[in-house]
Amino acid sequence: MMMAKDSGGILKWMAEYDRRYVYLVLFLVMVGPLLRPIGMPISVSPDTVQYYNVLQQVQPGDKVFFTLNTEFSGYNEIQSGIIATMRVLVEKHARIAFGVAHVEATVIPELIVKAVQAEMTANDYQYGRDYIILGYIFPNEAAVAAGAQDFHGVVTQDWLGRPIAGTFLDEIDDWEDWDLIADFTTGIATSFLINHYALRGTPMIMNCIGIMIASEKPYVDSGVLLGLLQSMRGGAELEFLIGRPGPGLTAMDGFSFGHYALIIFILIGNVGYFGYTRQQQMRVDREAK
Amino acid sequence: MAEILKNRQLQIIVMLLSFLFVFLPYFLNVPQLNTASTKLITITSIVTAFTVALAVLAQFRRGINIINRRSRGWYFKAYMLMTLVLMLGFSLISRETGPYHWVMFAVVNPLSSVNYGILAFYMASTAARAFRARNTKALLLLLSGFIVLIYQAPLTGAYFTGFEPIALYLGSTFGLAAGRMFLISVTVGAIVFGVRVIMGNEPSVLGLSKEE
Amino acid sequence: MADMLFSVPGIINGRFIGFLLDIAMAALVYYYIKTRKMVHIRRVPGLDAIEEAVGRSAEMGKPVICSFGIGGFTYWTLAGLSILSHVARLSAKTGSRLIVPTGGGDQALIVRPVAEEIVKTAYTMEGAEDQYNPDDLPFYSGQQYAYIGGYVGVMQRIRPGSVIMTGSHASEAMNIAETSNAVGAITITSGSYIGNVAALACASDYILIGEEAPAAGAYLSEDPSQRASIRVQDLFKWLAIAIVVLGIAARSLGNDFLLRLLST
Repeated sequence: MMMAKDSGGILKWMAEYDRRYVYLVLFLVMVGPLLRPIGMPISVSPDTVQYYNVLQQVQPGDKVFFTLNTEFSGYNEIQSGIIATMRVLVEKHARIAFGVAHVEATVIPELIVKAVQAEMTANDYQYGRDYIILGYIFPNEAAVAAGAQDFHGVVTQDWLGRPIAGTFLDEIDDWEDWDLIADFTTGIATSFLINHYALRGTPMIMNCIGIMIASEKPYVDSGVLLGLLQSMRGGAELEFLIGRPGPGLTAMDGFSFGHYALIIFILIGNVGYFGYTRQQQMRVDREAK
Repeated sequence: MAEILKNRQLQIIVMLLSFLFVFLPYFLNVPQLNTASTKLITITSIVTAFTVALAVLAQFRRGINIINRRSRGWYFKAYMLMTLVLMLGFSLISRETGPYHWVMFAVVNPLSSVNYGILAFYMASTAARAFRARNTKALLLLLSGFIVLIYQAPLTGAYFTGFEPIALYLGSTFGLAAGRMFLISVTVGAIVFGVRVIMGNEPSVLGLSKEE
Repeated sequence: MADMLFSVPGIINGRFIGFLLDIAMAALVYYYIKTRKMVHIRRVPGLDAIEEAVGRSAEMGKPVICSFGIGGFTYWTLAGLSILSHVARLSAKTGSRLIVPTGGGDQALIVRPVAEEIVKTAYTMEGAEDQYNPDDLPFYSGQQYAYIGGYVGVMQRIRPGSVIMTGSHASEAMNIAETSNAVGAITITSGSYIGNVAALACASDYILIGEEAPAAGAYLSEDPSQRASIRVQDLFKWLAIAIVVLGIAARSLGNDFLLRLLST
C-alpha cells in the first residue's frame, strides 16, 4: 500500500506545533500583565485560610523559627508568602530567628527585613531582643538533627559571627522550646525539619513551591503540618487576607493568563491530534479502496 | 593506614555503629544514649563541614590540572576558579556590604531567578505535549489536568466557583492517596535499602566493587 | 495523635510500633538475603530499559549521560550511585562514552569523589580502564542552576543517545528531562518527590516511581538472593494497604483500636 505524500496542513501543525510557540506565547501573556498589572479579582483557597488561622494564633513573645530552605531562584516563587507571613508575625510581636539551608540564602533575610522595615520600626523591633539572623545553619541532616537536640551545641553565633548568648535564643535548648516553625521551602532541608522537629511535636507551617504541594499535603492532613501555603498563589491569597498587596497579588494576572494560555495550547493539540489522525485514517481507507 | 581505613569490613562496622547511635535513641528512653547520639551528630556535622572544604580543595586542584593540560574548555575552569577565589576573598572582607553583597544581589540573584523562571516554559511545553487524549487513561489525565489547571488560575474562582469543589475533591482523594502511597513506598524502600547498605550489600555506594 | 493502648518501659511513648516494624523489616531483609530464597519479583520497566538505552546509544555511536542528583549522601543519592555503577559497567562493556555531570550543590561536592571511584571501578571490572576518562565527570559548579546550565548545554552539544537521571534531583529535573526529550535521547528518570514524579512522567520515556529507585541495586544484581530482598518492600506495602483498609473499616464502625495501636 502506498501512502500519498502528506503535507498535513493546519491540523498537522496543531498536532505537532513547535514548543517554541508555547514559550513565546507564555512569555508574552505573563510579562505583559507584570509590566502593566490589571488587578483582576482572585479567590482564596481553604488551605490559605487554614494557614492564616494558625498565624492569627501567634502570641506576643512567641519564639518563631523562620527557616528559609531556598536559594534565590525559588525565593521568587515564595517571596510573597514569606513577606506576608513576616508582616503578620511582626504585628503579633513574635520573636523571630532566621535560619537558612543554602549558602545563597544567607543574604535573603536581609531582603525580608528590608521589606517589612516599616512594621518592624513601628513595633520597636530590636536585633537580638526581637529577631536574629543565624545564617547558614542547616547544611545537612546531621546539623538539623543536632540543633533539634542541643541548639546551642550547634549554633553559637549569628551570620556575622556575633555570639548569640544574651539574645532571646537563650530560652532555646531543643525542639520543644520553639513555639512555631515557619518553613519557606523549595525542598532543601524541609524533610529534615519535619523529621527532627514537627514529627516530635514542634508546631510547623509551610510555604512551598508549586511542585512540592502534592508531597507535603499528606503532612497537613495527618496534623504534622498545621498549615500549607501553596506557592506564589498562596502568598497572593495571604496578602489578600491580611489586606497588604505585594509581589504575589501583582503577579496573579500573569499567573491566570499563563494557565489559560496553557489550556488553549492543550486544546489546540488535542483538536489537531484528532483531526490529523482522522484525516490520515480517511486517506488510508480511500487508498485501500 | 590508608589501606586500613579503606578496608570494607571496617567501613561497614563504622557505618553500623553510627547508625545504631542515631537510630536507637529515637526509640529508646536511655539518656546516656541520647547524649552520645547528640555528640555523634554534632561531630558528624563538623566532619561534613571539613569534608566540604576538602572537596573544594580537591576540585581546585583538579581545575588547575585541567588548565595546565589545556583540556577542552579549560578557560571555563579558569573562570570558575577565579570566581571561587574572588568570592572567598570578598566574603572575608564583608558580607553585609561591599563586593560580596553586590555580586550576590546583582549577579547571582538575577541569574538564578531567570534560570528558575525558565522552568515554567519547560513545564508548559511538557504539559502541552503530554496531555493528548490518546486512550481512556490519557483522557482521564487530560480531564483532571484541565480541571486542576483551570482551578489553579486565581481568576477562575472569582467568577466560576464550580471548578473549586471538583479540583479540591480530586486533590484530596486521588491526589492525596497517591501522595500518601508514594510516601509509604519511598519510606519502605529507604528502610530496605538502608538495611542492605548496612549489611554491605550495596558496595557501590562506598565506591567499592563486589569483589573487594 | 490518638491515645496509646499501652506504654512500654524504656521506649519513648508513641514509638513502640514503629520500632517493631523497623526491626521486623530489617530481620526479613536479613532472612531473605541469608537464606538465599528464590522468589519471583515484578519487572520494573524503568530499570529494564537501562540496558536497552545504553545498548541503543552504543549502536548509534552516541554517548550516555547518567547523573545521580545534586544532594548530599541521602538515600536518593545512594540509590542514584547504585544505578550509576550499573550504567558505568554497561557503558564499559558496550564501549559507549559515559558522561556524568556532577555538582549542583555544596553537598554534592562530597559525593563527587565517590561517583568518580564508582565509575573507575566499573571500568576496571570490565577490563576497560583505558576507556575511563575523569574529564567525562565534569563538575558544573556547586550552584543548582549553574549546574543545570552546564548539563543542558552538554546535552545540546553532544546529543546523547540516552539520559539516565536518578538520585536527588529537585526542580532542575524538568530542565534535564525536557531537554533530553528535545534532543531525541531515551529518557529514564526518577523523582524524589511526587510533584516531580507527575511532571517527569509526562516528559520521560521511562520513570522510576517511589521505592523502585532505592531497589535498583538489588534488582540489577545478578545474585538472586539480593533480588529477593525486594520482596520485603512488597510485603510491607501489602501490610500498609491492609492497615489502611482495616483502619477505614474500623473507624467507620466507630472502633479506634487500630488507631490507638499504631499510636503506641
